[in-house]
Amino acid sequence: MSAAPPENRAAVIPRDVDNTLQTIERPPLVLGKQSFHAVTEAVSDVVERKTPKGWLLLTAIAGFMLMILGGSLTDLVGVGIGEWGLNHPVGWAWDITGFVFWIGIGHAGTLISAILFLFRQKWRTSINRAAEAMTLFAVAAALIYPGFHVGRIWFAYWMLPIPNQMQMWPNFKSPLLWDVFAVSTYGTVSLLFWFLGLVPDLATLRDRSTTKLRKIIYGTLALGWRGSHRHWLTYEKAYLILAGLSTPLVLSVHTIVSFDFAVSILPGWHTTIFPPYFVAGAVFSGFAMVVTLMILVRKAYGLEHLITMRHLENMNKIILATGSLVGYAYGMEFFMAWYSGNIYERFAFINRAFGPYSWAYWTMMTCNVFSPQFFWFRKIRTSIPAMFILSIAVNIGMWFERFVIIATSLHRDFLPSSWGYFRPQLVDFTTFIGTFGLFLTLFLLFIRFLPGIAISEVKGVMPQANPHPEDAHEKEAEAAHG
Amino acid sequence: MKRLPIVYDDRSDKRYWRSLTEKSGDPNYKASLAAEFPDGTSEMTAEEGEVSRRNFLTVMGASMALAGMTACRRPEEKILPYARPPEEMIPGKPLYFATATTLYGTAIGLLVESHEGRPTKIEGNPRHPESLGGTTTHLQALVLDMYDPDRSTAPLEKGQKRTRDDVTKTLRDLSTRLKGDGGKSLAVITTAHRSPTLDTALRELRAQLPSARVVRYEPLDRTSSQEGTKLAFGRALEPVHALDQAMVIATFDCDAFANEGSPLKNARGWVANRDPERGRPLNRMYSVESIHSVTGANADHRLRLRSADVAQLVLALAQKVGVEGVAAAAPLAPNAQKFLDALAKDLLANKSKSALLVGQTQPAAVHAVVALINHALGNVGSTVKYVRAFDDVTPAGPKALVELANAINSKQVDTVVILGGNPAFDAPADAGFAKAIAGATTSIHLSTHIDETSSACTWHIPRTHFLEAWDDARTEDGTYSVVQPLIAPLYDGWSDAEVIRALVGQPNKPYELVRASFSQAFGGDERAWKQALHNGFVADSAFAAEAVTGNATAVAAAAKTLPVAGAGFEVTIRPDPHAFDGRFANNGWMQELPDAMTKITWGSTAWLSAATAKELNVVEGDHVTVAVEAGSVTLPVVIAPGQADKSVAIFLGQGRRLGRVATGVGVDTYPLFKSTGLFVAAGNVNKANVNVAVPVTASIEKNVLSRTQEHFNMEGRPIVREITAAQYTADPQAVKKMTPPGPPLEALWYPHPSDQGHKWGMTIDLNACIGCNACMVACQAENNVPVVGVLGVRKSREMHWLRIDRYFEGPVDDPRSVTMPLMCQQCENAPCESVCPVGATSHSPEGLNDMAYNRCIGTRYCANNCPYKVRRFNFFNYSKNFITTQQMQLNPNVSVRSRGVMEKCTWCVQRINEARISAKKTEADGRVRDGSIVTACQQSCPTRAITFGDYNDRESMVSKKVALPRSYALLAEFNFGPRLQYLGKVRNPNPELEPAAPVAAGAHGGSAAPHNPGSAAPAGSPATHGEHK
Repeated sequence: MSAAPPENRAAVIPRDVDNTLQTIERPPLVLGKQSFHAVTEAVSDVVERKTPKGWLLLTAIAGFMLMILGGSLTDLVGVGIGEWGLNHPVGWAWDITGFVFWIGIGHAGTLISAILFLFRQKWRTSINRAAEAMTLFAVAAALIYPGFHVGRIWFAYWMLPIPNQMQMWPNFKSPLLWDVFAVSTYGTVSLLFWFLGLVPDLATLRDRSTTKLRKIIYGTLALGWRGSHRHWLTYEKAYLILAGLSTPLVLSVHTIVSFDFAVSILPGWHTTIFPPYFVAGAVFSGFAMVVTLMILVRKAYGLEHLITMRHLENMNKIILATGSLVGYAYGMEFFMAWYSGNIYERFAFINRAFGPYSWAYWTMMTCNVFSPQFFWFRKIRTSIPAMFILSIAVNIGMWFERFVIIATSLHRDFLPSSWGYFRPQLVDFTTFIGTFGLFLTLFLLFIRFLPGIAISEVKGVMPQANPHPEDAHEKEAEAAHG
Repeated sequence: MKRLPIVYDDRSDKRYWRSLTEKSGDPNYKASLAAEFPDGTSEMTAEEGEVSRRNFLTVMGASMALAGMTACRRPEEKILPYARPPEEMIPGKPLYFATATTLYGTAIGLLVESHEGRPTKIEGNPRHPESLGGTTTHLQALVLDMYDPDRSTAPLEKGQKRTRDDVTKTLRDLSTRLKGDGGKSLAVITTAHRSPTLDTALRELRAQLPSARVVRYEPLDRTSSQEGTKLAFGRALEPVHALDQAMVIATFDCDAFANEGSPLKNARGWVANRDPERGRPLNRMYSVESIHSVTGANADHRLRLRSADVAQLVLALAQKVGVEGVAAAAPLAPNAQKFLDALAKDLLANKSKSALLVGQTQPAAVHAVVALINHALGNVGSTVKYVRAFDDVTPAGPKALVELANAINSKQVDTVVILGGNPAFDAPADAGFAKAIAGATTSIHLSTHIDETSSACTWHIPRTHFLEAWDDARTEDGTYSVVQPLIAPLYDGWSDAEVIRALVGQPNKPYELVRASFSQAFGGDERAWKQALHNGFVADSAFAAEAVTGNATAVAAAAKTLPVAGAGFEVTIRPDPHAFDGRFANNGWMQELPDAMTKITWGSTAWLSAATAKELNVVEGDHVTVAVEAGSVTLPVVIAPGQADKSVAIFLGQGRRLGRVATGVGVDTYPLFKSTGLFVAAGNVNKANVNVAVPVTASIEKNVLSRTQEHFNMEGRPIVREITAAQYTADPQAVKKMTPPGPPLEALWYPHPSDQGHKWGMTIDLNACIGCNACMVACQAENNVPVVGVLGVRKSREMHWLRIDRYFEGPVDDPRSVTMPLMCQQCENAPCESVCPVGATSHSPEGLNDMAYNRCIGTRYCANNCPYKVRRFNFFNYSKNFITTQQMQLNPNVSVRSRGVMEKCTWCVQRINEARISAKKTEADGRVRDGSIVTACQQSCPTRAITFGDYNDRESMVSKKVALPRSYALLAEFNFGPRLQYLGKVRNPNPELEPAAPVAAGAHGGSAAPHNPGSAAPAGSPATHGEHK
């Protein structure tokens, strides 16, 4: 590093030295001496090999769970949402908890694909595809809840600004309407982004297809990709644009979801800290879910050389960082409740920690604030069983966080006469299990039929893809300055 | 496809021909007939050989598809205009008719709303002296009883359906047979009726059948007070109270505002002297009771005392105020003594301006002593007058019923005619009435339902509801009221008098009977009758006040027999808060109406004080076995704050085996009810081992507490604001100062302009509200509010648009309590409005938060964001299974909400609109005049606590009320700008019993922070609301 002494800084800064360049040699992102072809083989094999028995078994289980969802939704539509345990002080409980939970999980995908891409975090390449797919499926699972939690689902389309002869228009003051726009934009952009990234890999699969059917399907989906230079040029630009578009969405979606609460007047909801707190929580839970799934996928398909310990460790670091942010937010909420001097606000938080739902609160605290602290230790950060348990704990904790925010604020608000308690009913459980069914079914189908790792992108971060290795660059610079 | 011709079988023997060719039987003609209908039309008839499979499937498939299309249409409903419209009827405009009904031992005048001939809602008759415009919960619920789908529809003889003619014939045969022995074998049981018409009919019966027995029976009647007056004054008299003349009121085990005496008149009389702005001293009420009643909750001083100990306290009081010859047999507890001293002093200081009321659950001797105290204090003639009893000839009460049961058992009586009532269920246990009646040769039960008694009788005759048949009634002071029907009997029922007239062989229509009875009393003037019909009563027709002289010796002798209660448990038996004496058990509104004090709905409970519960080692929801001499029942425990220690309250009327609502709800406690020591008995209470003693069946499962409010502590929040009269005088702003200080708040959105047109507002005077729940049922009736059932309540899904919150303050065993009616506050900065994604709830130009049910998709966000939690969501389709008769009750001016829709109080927007429309026609400026809109809750309120009107009209009542210094907005510190303002409660404690609190601090509102004069909390007139920048 050639830092100039401060006393004559104006004079001696060399214009052609870029000291932001990282000069420490990076460990390789793909382990083992891999050729490009080996990567193609490793990823495509997952899609092309004979259907593994384990996959069939898992898909059967997931499909069964999906049918539970079908049954639950039929019940909700046919009989009424009274089938859930909702009541008069608690108008939202597991429904919106589930919604925010799934939307939050989706966050890791966009973060990895968009923000890490713009920040040139190359380690994202091995996991971005699966993470993006997870985003989409999580959004699908999330949409089940706001869709079916309304009393009259057959009129749910009234939330959309569809011109009509009655000139009835949705209410643009309502955070729920903002939600509709935020989530649908998010879903659409995520889908485009994911699909765009898939195109070169779909072409690879098309070219490797041995059956006519596969050729037609992958061929259609590959949109005539030939891998020409021009294609790559357009593709890279489009990818960059979509990454740019997605980046604000990472922040906006959960910010707007948090407005559902922050814009209300309920003590425990009405808090300006919610937008950053929700975004941090979403990234937190999203990464935890990616870790959980990636551990399973890399093991099941022998992709340890592509999804390496370094990837997992990086994600664990993010979990640690966002977990601590979330913990700070929890503390700050309490501080503000005390500092505001508002008796209703104070009560809401004391009630959270020590009221009838204190069990939920302390479950949340244990899982979200205490458990990620183990990731300070490198040994735990790099231990598969430890991170598997902790990532699941984080997801449990994040579900509870949403439940705590929603239910404990609602069940005891301003007037003690209307205080109540929410008890989940059978259909609450089955709907929740069902959304997992939907998510898992979609994810299992994804890893079976689509390349779970971005082949082209992984190739791009392999050493042989770089015509100018870092040390060569360094040497060039040194040579230029003598 | 063309329609196939329909060919009818020609059954006549003649064969007509249409043409000569047909006659000739020409085969060509036959062929041409078939050609009349083109190919394909006869595909299905198989006449031309086989039906092709392909075509069959095509046709069937198309038929199925088209059949499915029919589902796309709404069911066809025919609207027929009146060929000859009834007088005064304009379709769509309700008519109101004055009528009356008998309840609580008096007759209460009512106005009933009728839509196209369907009575839909009962309201109080403002001119009637027993209603004064108010109603009670029971009166409101009566209309639902008429449309009860479980009502009996036809006469039954031993379970077999019979016709009306069969009944007529049976009664005629019976009368012939009875005349043979002078009616010796006949007994007639009536309710505690007050009908001169029935009385006349019974007199006729007695004249024709001199040996017939007639008994009046209702479990909760006024036998006790009549016997008391017999002791005190030598004859059965009816005490009539005028509490508006009283400055000191004392009640002894008497729920005078809910179900004793004349509750509406009592409440109105009490509130007459509770207005702190009127510049006159407030009255003061003392209550002594074992159970925390609505009346006790409103008393300035309440002494909780076991019911069995009340007698000794009354005796000690009598001694203190100078009634000769009586003395307490046992010393009082120190707190009771202190209470008594203060009470006696207050009474003596307010001679002739005090009133003492005793509950019917107290023995006759206590009534006698209190009558003498009233007499000694010079109250007779001012706050209480005595009039002759309506019927002092007929044996009445539980003892008379026991005698009759014995007579049936000993075969002296073999024919029993029961007019209404349900003695097989509600007779005292020692009568064994159900068994006795089953042994009678002929037993006829006139009843609206096939109930416990009907099942035990040989005959059941459908009885008319009071809205179905002509009748009349005398109030407790004798005012003649006409019971005018609003609808022809739904099921061809009989009225009481009709049956008796048929029995004496002179069948008459009820109208003729009532008309005759009116003529007998007031002459035959048609105009007077029309006037009576219009008003619902005859003015100045009350019985004359009787002059009374106290018989101290007899009373003293009776008082000596009053037992001194031991230290053990007492069991008090009360009317059920829902079912009353059992008659409302099948009424969904009443079952779901939360009890005023404990907020329990559906089913029966045993009330214990916290200390007693601790002693028994039970918690709420545990079961206890309550045992008295007559038997025992097992009931779930409710810890009732304010209940006397060692006293358990149980309630009569649940556990009926009848109807779709009542079946399986609660436990029948009548087996504990005996004709001796009726309502208070020494007993024993033990924790029940539920697993052994009570099988956990559906009916027991229903006994798990289902309550609408579970938290009764205000948590130090300034919700119900209460001060004393002294504090109010010292600092009129004391109520407003309880608002927690805060920074000035600004609205997020632009304010709604509200300076033009009407600006609806409402005030609720917490000082007048007694928490009687009448408004809740009135709202339910007016606004088609559904009943959700016991499971719904247990899941906190009750739908009441208007609820009454109850809060307790002070020690858990002996708290004071306050109430607060809560409905939509119609906020200016309504949190509900801005969050609805589809704009289903929005601000009306007149400032109401309108709810468009059709637009609502049911996100429930508005309910979550409502700080008052007054919004109600239809979790299921609650009115899905309504049969036609149930639908007839519904108010056609209010939508019946479907599943998945949010609903809430509208401030009776249908009434507002109606008034606006008529104002456009009648008023020069088209503005609605103050007082022309009366909301359903306001109408029913016995104490006129609710005021509705226009804030833009400076002269309106509501503007004047809201300008009072004790008005405040609930949660004012949040700037919701509610249009509803409460007026703080002002108590008038006796300084001897409650040392004056420091003036500056409020009785409630834990935050004792000083008032911040710069606070922007909406303090002044609500006219400033909506003008926040």
